[in-house]
Amino acid sequence: MKILVPVKRVPDPATTIRVLPDGSGIATDNIKWVINPFDEIAIEEALRIKEKQGSGEIVLCSIGQITWQEQLRTGLAMGADRAILVKSDQPLDTLAIARILVKVVNDEKPDLVILGKQAIDDDSNQVGQMMAEMLGWPQATFASQIEFADGKCKVTREVDGGLETIAFPLPAVVTTDLRLNEPRYASLPGIMKARKKELKEIAAESLGIDLAPRLRIKKLTAPPKREAGRKVESAAELVQLLHSDAKVI
Amino acid sequence: MISFEPTEEQQMIRDTAAAFARNELRPAARAVDEGETIPDGLIAAASKLGLVRAWLPEEHGGDGLMRSALTGAMLMEELAYGDLALAAHLTAPRLFAFPIIEMGTSAQRSRYLKPFASGNFVAGSSALVEPRYDFDLQTIATTARQERDGWILDGEKCIVPLAGESESILIYARRGEEDGVSGFIVPREAAGVLISEPEKNMGLKGLKTYEVKLAGCRIAADAQLGGDAGINFARIASQMRVAAVAMAAGLARAAFEYARDYAKERRAFGAPIATRQAIAFMLAEMAIEVDAMRLLAWEAAWHLDRGEDAAKESYLAKHYASASALKVTDNAVQVLGGHGYIREHPVEMWLRNARGLAIMEGLAIV
Repeated sequence: MKILVPVKRVPDPATTIRVLPDGSGIATDNIKWVINPFDEIAIEEALRIKEKQGSGEIVLCSIGQITWQEQLRTGLAMGADRAILVKSDQPLDTLAIARILVKVVNDEKPDLVILGKQAIDDDSNQVGQMMAEMLGWPQATFASQIEFADGKCKVTREVDGGLETIAFPLPAVVTTDLRLNEPRYASLPGIMKARKKELKEIAAESLGIDLAPRLRIKKLTAPPKREAGRKVESAAELVQLLHSDAKVI
Repeated sequence: MISFEPTEEQQMIRDTAAAFARNELRPAARAVDEGETIPDGLIAAASKLGLVRAWLPEEHGGDGLMRSALTGAMLMEELAYGDLALAAHLTAPRLFAFPIIEMGTSAQRSRYLKPFASGNFVAGSSALVEPRYDFDLQTIATTARQERDGWILDGEKCIVPLAGESESILIYARRGEEDGVSGFIVPREAAGVLISEPEKNMGLKGLKTYEVKLAGCRIAADAQLGGDAGINFARIASQMRVAAVAMAAGLARAAFEYARDYAKERRAFGAPIATRQAIAFMLAEMAIEVDAMRLLAWEAAWHLDRGEDAAKESYLAKHYASASALKVTDNAVQVLGGHGYIREHPVEMWLRNARGLAIMEGLAIV
């Protein structure tokens, strides 16, 4: 099975994020960049599918600056077969990303696209769904289990109040949830091999796609500082305060 | 040109080691320190990383990664940041395999390296230190006497990591009255090899160490590492020191970060204690020491990677790091105050581990 895994570069979740004074973005100096954790889960799942089936090809794809190679190399070190970097220096919104990925899908013709349900930087949760719609493919979002039987893909999703299982034919788009698997570490031999694997670069502008942003970030602000808690004498006082001060009941 | 920028490959090795240290080594460290055995799952996960296999030549089933002391130093720092004892345990097989890769005869490489290419943890070790008050690397007293059909080894070694678990041990000894140190590959089961019960150490409890006695131990004529050409022992000793310094930096960084974060949270007299100069100065000094250790390790490693002698640089670095790791971990206990002394926090464990690092030699190699 040929699997395409779109991968986004994001700040390490352990990093303290600081918003720039003018609110135009976040301070990126001293930030450590990693593969979006949900995408890492997608890579791991693709590797497991390939290992289980005994054959297949895993292609990674990122859309961004030349430095995004670092995360693609890490994915290759985990075990993916090759990678494509669609180079773009301008920030792209989710629609443009989905359009580029659809173009890559049309060129590569994978049987399955697996990607994180969302990136942990902007938490948009849109690209997978948009891709499926544009491709006219079935989609299964928030997968916590993926199986293949009788030529169909069966995905378990964690939904409010329980688990939902859906089955659909391939090709399809699946987005991963946190509990799908625990990604492996890139092994040192894997890191060695990654150097020799193909990493193809394509210029986004050369794809003939409308990349004009439909979404504009007006301003970023840091969340308000949490205020210190208060101790109350009695339950009655608590209820009273929740009503009068916090206005939650 | 001097560059502080790791290559892409070095950065990936650092990242993967750092993630492994944070997620696997650190959470397991305390239980192992309290006497539990290292979980099988942890050993299996570490084996998958390929801490030995990656550097084995391809003809012996490895991946043929180019050996670099600098890359080794980066790897060791990250692993020791997770836990020094576990890092030393998991990398101990390198003490056996690496000198054979670099200086062994082709027959020795074919014979001894294969097991390390498997995906499983294979113990390996080398014996350097001797239980004498005046021990130093120039006055190794273990001797190897050449007989008609082999070598006879006599002497005593101590703090030999994983001696009881390893098939063969690389023993450093002197040939008769000659200057210079040679290596001998000694099967654990050879007649005349006596391995003690595990030593009971103050720290580093995740690393089993043993005394090894050699009493008229007879081994084959081809057991000398490197054959008649012998080995460059000074280079091996430097590689060991660089590993120790890098690990000291990792251990100290763990202690520094823990103390720093604690000091930012812990409030006394209405403010976090990190805002008090007595604490802030201590933390600043700790941060300086960590960087200093790393830079000294890197400089010595840089010489080694150029194929140069690094005896002076590695020795100065080791001397500095021995004292420095102790100082930083002790300061970490001090910053935590009473909490630093109790076992709920890892800093007392790190202090005990640092003490071990300061007096031990030959526990790791880059």
